[in-house]
Amino acid sequence: MIAVRGFTYTYPAATAPSLQDIDLDVPAGQFLAVIGANGAGKSTLCYSLSGFVPDFYKGTVVGTIHVGERNLVQTPLADLAGEIGLVFANPFNQITGARFTVREELAFGLENLGIPREEMLPRIEEVLRLTGLEELAERSPYALSGGQQQRLAIASVMVMQPKLLVLDEPTSQLDPVGTREVFETLDALTKTGTTVVLAEHKLEWIAVHADRIILLDGGRIVHDGHPHDVLADPSLPTYGLAPTRYTQAARLAVTQGCVPADRPLPVTLDEAVKFFSP
Amino acid sequence: MANAFSLYAPRPSSLHRLHPLTMLAVVGFCLVAGLALPGPWGPYLVFLFVILPLAAWGQVLPNLLSSALKIALPFAISVFLIQGLFWTGGTPIAHLGPLSLKSEGLLFAAQSTGRILAVIGAFLLLSLTVRPDTLMIALDQRGAPKALTYIVLATIQIAPRFQAKANTILDAQRARGLETEGGVGRRVRALLPLVVPLVLGSIIDIEERAMSLEARAFSREGKKTSLLVLPDSAAQKAARAALLIGMAAAVAAGIWLRRAS
Amino acid sequence: MNITITDLTFTYPSGVQALRGVSLTLVSGESVAIVGENGAGKTTLVKHFNGLLRPTGGSVHVGEWDTVAASVAKLASRVGYVFQNPDDQLFERSVIKEASFGPKNLGRNDSEAREAAQKALAAVGLDNELDKHPYDLHLSQRKLLALAAVLAMHTPVIVLDEPTTGQDARGLARIGDIVEQLRNERRTVVTITHDIDFAAEHFERVIVMSKGQVQADGDAADVLARAEVLAAAEVEPPQLVRLSRALGLPGTPLTPEQFVKTLEATCLHPSS
Repeated sequence: MIAVRGFTYTYPAATAPSLQDIDLDVPAGQFLAVIGANGAGKSTLCYSLSGFVPDFYKGTVVGTIHVGERNLVQTPLADLAGEIGLVFANPFNQITGARFTVREELAFGLENLGIPREEMLPRIEEVLRLTGLEELAERSPYALSGGQQQRLAIASVMVMQPKLLVLDEPTSQLDPVGTREVFETLDALTKTGTTVVLAEHKLEWIAVHADRIILLDGGRIVHDGHPHDVLADPSLPTYGLAPTRYTQAARLAVTQGCVPADRPLPVTLDEAVKFFSP
Repeated sequence: MANAFSLYAPRPSSLHRLHPLTMLAVVGFCLVAGLALPGPWGPYLVFLFVILPLAAWGQVLPNLLSSALKIALPFAISVFLIQGLFWTGGTPIAHLGPLSLKSEGLLFAAQSTGRILAVIGAFLLLSLTVRPDTLMIALDQRGAPKALTYIVLATIQIAPRFQAKANTILDAQRARGLETEGGVGRRVRALLPLVVPLVLGSIIDIEERAMSLEARAFSREGKKTSLLVLPDSAAQKAARAALLIGMAAAVAAGIWLRRAS
Repeated sequence: MNITITDLTFTYPSGVQALRGVSLTLVSGESVAIVGENGAGKTTLVKHFNGLLRPTGGSVHVGEWDTVAASVAKLASRVGYVFQNPDDQLFERSVIKEASFGPKNLGRNDSEAREAAQKALAAVGLDNELDKHPYDLHLSQRKLLALAAVLAMHTPVIVLDEPTTGQDARGLARIGDIVEQLRNERRTVVTITHDIDFAAEHFERVIVMSKGQVQADGDAADVLARAEVLAAAEVEPPQLVRLSRALGLPGTPLTPEQFVKTLEATCLHPSS
């Protein structure tokens, strides 16, 4: 689904590349999380996978990014029209402001694509159901909570049936309730076969939900694997990240001899319960 | 739909069910006739016999009257006093101490007030009975530049939040010890910390919003469709054509009547 | 410098009653985390500390000053407030100028203000970026800059509104260190946060708010043990407390060290 080869990108005013020699293959339907310290290149990778780099941001590019059949580096953004969805941290800026109800807001992208009205209606209903927004369909987008607005932002791109959904720290401005709503929505989406790429700081959440994690540092991929491997790796702090408290407690317990050293370190609550049970 | 910039008042009236362009034509006719017909009776005819009855049909008469009077009354008072008392030359009809009221001045004031009422009445009629988004969509469908229609609608919804943001910035800077009360010098120095975050923050917001719109295929070339169905009819189309002719007729009548007098 | 709140009620002009009678005292040097669901009244409460809001009923005293009688700028010398969105504050052309703005408003001369700003910027790790334009910084760094700008004002009380959103582990560690440093300096630190783990690790007192009232108020370990109170305010217990409960362990561990200590106790005495 996604094939990145030797991708290096430098922003127009920058002296050093923000992404270096990225090689990445992502199969369709995977839930891939991207982690790394601020400035490591997570946002840039998100913009690259959704076609905003280089078209929107300009700058210099080396290498290729293929999403499906499309070579993103050579495709102008307008031509991508809805094939790849991008969601970012601020829910407010993702509401168009040009529509007065949630239902009409969802139709906005479909109207731009010239989808016939008869086709719009069932698509909108489907996406309202998928994101749990059915009861809010007639409300003003501005009368929703942060978590609801973020689900609306996700729904607004999902209604265009993209093959790939990219999210850049979508929960950073949300409280735990909103965060849970977003992750539940992402779970529902991956079940429909959508590929999801999520840049995120909340490691305890992606430990539970992601299929695979890549760790970025200085614009390079330094680790790529299953959540257990990446999040329990002792080198994590050297890349500016802290393991989940479950992992921290487990590591401490092992060094103090309370738990046998051969057990794999837990990264989630469920794994921690198993780990600490006799 | 309640926000500061939108006066729209939903009512179960058949006026509200008209196609937005029909209402636009009606209001355009009121504007043109109100300004073209000679005064002082011309604009009042339009206001009293076209705008007010339409407002009653749309069940928004109280809203329209109260808003129109709120705006027109202060204007009327000042223009009547100024033009009435200080019209040069002319025929005095009453004396107030050393000053005298001139009939020409009063006539002029009456005409100006009439025109204001006609113009404001027309705009209020449009705002009260047509949902802004249906009007913009109708214009979109007729080929209006989509950036323009987008900006109108987004301004209606986002402007109140802009106000809220400005208040937050004010709070944040006061919390850092910024004095906002006091002499001119102090107030001028307070401007930069208040205006810069507003502008820069808005620029960031605009960039993210532009990306969002791109992700929703906003700049795609090609035919667009619409979720909202705006019912139209041959009768309304005919009415709009008639109103356009009516506007031309009003202008012609105005010129002819002025020449005749 | 205590903050004394007596029977505080507050109703917004729109008619929403955000605070329904809050009474508490923040003692000089305390570290307090205020948690609770959206709309609980947390921000409304703390905005009374520096006079941004004035009580509809009851009173708020900062030291001996009644907030009703003092201007916001005057109260700013006692209560520093770091807003959640740094972009609502930043306006200067350089990081150092931005951080000097607060101290200058409080009457420091240029060199005093600059010195205070430099120290604060060093504490947040921005001492290498003094001449950079604030908007050239990453959002999480701008948040640290906003924090430094208030730290430089050396107020006895400091309020942090959601300080951890968008921060990576390094940023979180810095903020945690700053909280510890403020506690060492006997300055009162109040935070609103929905990062309950951050609250558990750095704050000695936790106040749970819901529907305009205080639902629980006390030592972090005590309050965070009360699962029903937390649940009613839509607050998740800290990760290690959840783990403890799931394992049937006693106590309320607020850090990995505390958790392992409790574990050791049961290590030597096998749990039933």
